[in-house]
Amino acid sequence: MADPRAPRAPFAPWDRRELPGAFTVEESAVRVGHYKWIEMKLFEVLGGWVATVPELDVKMRLGTHTYHHAWHAELWHKRLPELREMNPERLTGPPNDELVTFVDAMTEPEAPDLTIEKLVGAYRVLIPHKIAAYTYHLNNTSTITDAPTIRSLKFALQDELEDWRDGEMLIQSLIASPEEVRRAADHQGRLEHLMVLAGGIVGPGSIGDSSAPAAGNGVVS
Amino acid sequence: MKRSLPVDELARDDRFVRSSIEDRLTDPRSAARAGAVAEGRGRRRRPISPDQPGAPDAARSLMHGIFVGEVQALEGAGRTCWDFDLGAGDDEVPFELKLDMARQCWDEARHVEISCALAAWMGTAIGEFAESTILYEAACNDDPVMRLTGVNRALEGLAIDVFNTMREFGQAAGDPVLEFCEDWMLADEVTHVKMGSDWLRRLTAQDPDRRARALEFQKVVDKLFSYGGIRGDDDDSPVRLARRFRELAGFAAAEIDEIAELSREAARDRAAKASARQSASRQGG
Repeated sequence: MADPRAPRAPFAPWDRRELPGAFTVEESAVRVGHYKWIEMKLFEVLGGWVATVPELDVKMRLGTHTYHHAWHAELWHKRLPELREMNPERLTGPPNDELVTFVDAMTEPEAPDLTIEKLVGAYRVLIPHKIAAYTYHLNNTSTITDAPTIRSLKFALQDELEDWRDGEMLIQSLIASPEEVRRAADHQGRLEHLMVLAGGIVGPGSIGDSSAPAAGNGVVS
Repeated sequence: MKRSLPVDELARDDRFVRSSIEDRLTDPRSAARAGAVAEGRGRRRRPISPDQPGAPDAARSLMHGIFVGEVQALEGAGRTCWDFDLGAGDDEVPFELKLDMARQCWDEARHVEISCALAAWMGTAIGEFAESTILYEAACNDDPVMRLTGVNRALEGLAIDVFNTMREFGQAAGDPVLEFCEDWMLADEVTHVKMGSDWLRRLTAQDPDRRARALEFQKVVDKLFSYGGIRGDDDDSPVRLARRFRELAGFAAAEIDEIAELSREAARDRAAKASARQSASRQGG
């Protein structure tokens, strides 16, 4: 047995966590506040849509996913004070007016024959953008100092990926004619355009800036 | 999407058939039965039991009622997520209340799934019985406290009684699948009723008038949903008040006594109306 009093390195050879990360405490808090806002908007509209879709399987999936996004909103709400924002409502908001316009357009479909549009807005536009922004944050924040955010991002991403797959399969099961293909594509195109104007769910920089130099990382030595 | 979706806009596929609460209460077949019992001629009702003639059909009908109730409970909880802004006003709700409603959406979605599977297990299918939309109507109140009290305390309270009855029916019938499923749904319903009890207390802590109005609304819904006294605390009540589970969900013993009395009152009202209708019909004939 190894000598329990022998000095050991603080980081095991297999532990590749790094310092620093791309985000300051304040930058992380701002992103988290935007995450909370968009998760709230998504769970509210999914909940509202439940009564408006006639397809029983879609109704049940929307009900289940309503909770997933509410839980993410709660995770972000609880993270904000840990990032020195003692008034979580102050940072709970959209990054810009363009994202509000996007959310208004996404939540617009109401009639029972618009299930395709409802699902396309949530599952082909918003959720893929959330996955992208969460993944960028996950891959660029400090794996040591910001571990609590990383843990929440991983929980959220697991739900987002599974919900995206559920939603995409429902969409595929509903699209059966060229007219429905066109409806889905038109609505996706319109919403994607609005999302591009917003710059993503946290505004410009949601998934970094491809033309900027790589964010600093690597072990401090 | 607008706020407050009216009941006639609830989206359904072609299998569903709707009936109003008026249709049910004025159904001449049930009125005749109630009138006969009131006059001492008919067979007294009693708790649903496997040895009764027609018990399988009665259980299937109740199961279908549970299924459509779960669909509407899902829709109602979802609408509460959407219909209100965050805030402290009488027409606003706290963030945490929306989180509870979202959680309820998930639970109710599971209950719909369970109900569909159980209905198939019991040999019935979606649309074999009519859908009454009274649960969703109670979920349309513009005041969130009324909505929570009417749905989570009155209707989800009824669900506790119904699930407990069905669980016992499953035990008596030797149906472990039915017993298992009802027991799990019963656990969720206790949580939902507790949510209603907790939010009623929190949101009306500084407003006794609002609390009194909400409790009055609950009484109206409780009486309506005793279905003319079918749900009650007496030995012959087809659906018995589940006192232990209601207490777990935040009901005081006095509140349960009050619901029991409301049910007796509803049974007396129903019998008197049925009797009067039969007398009028005899005189007219």
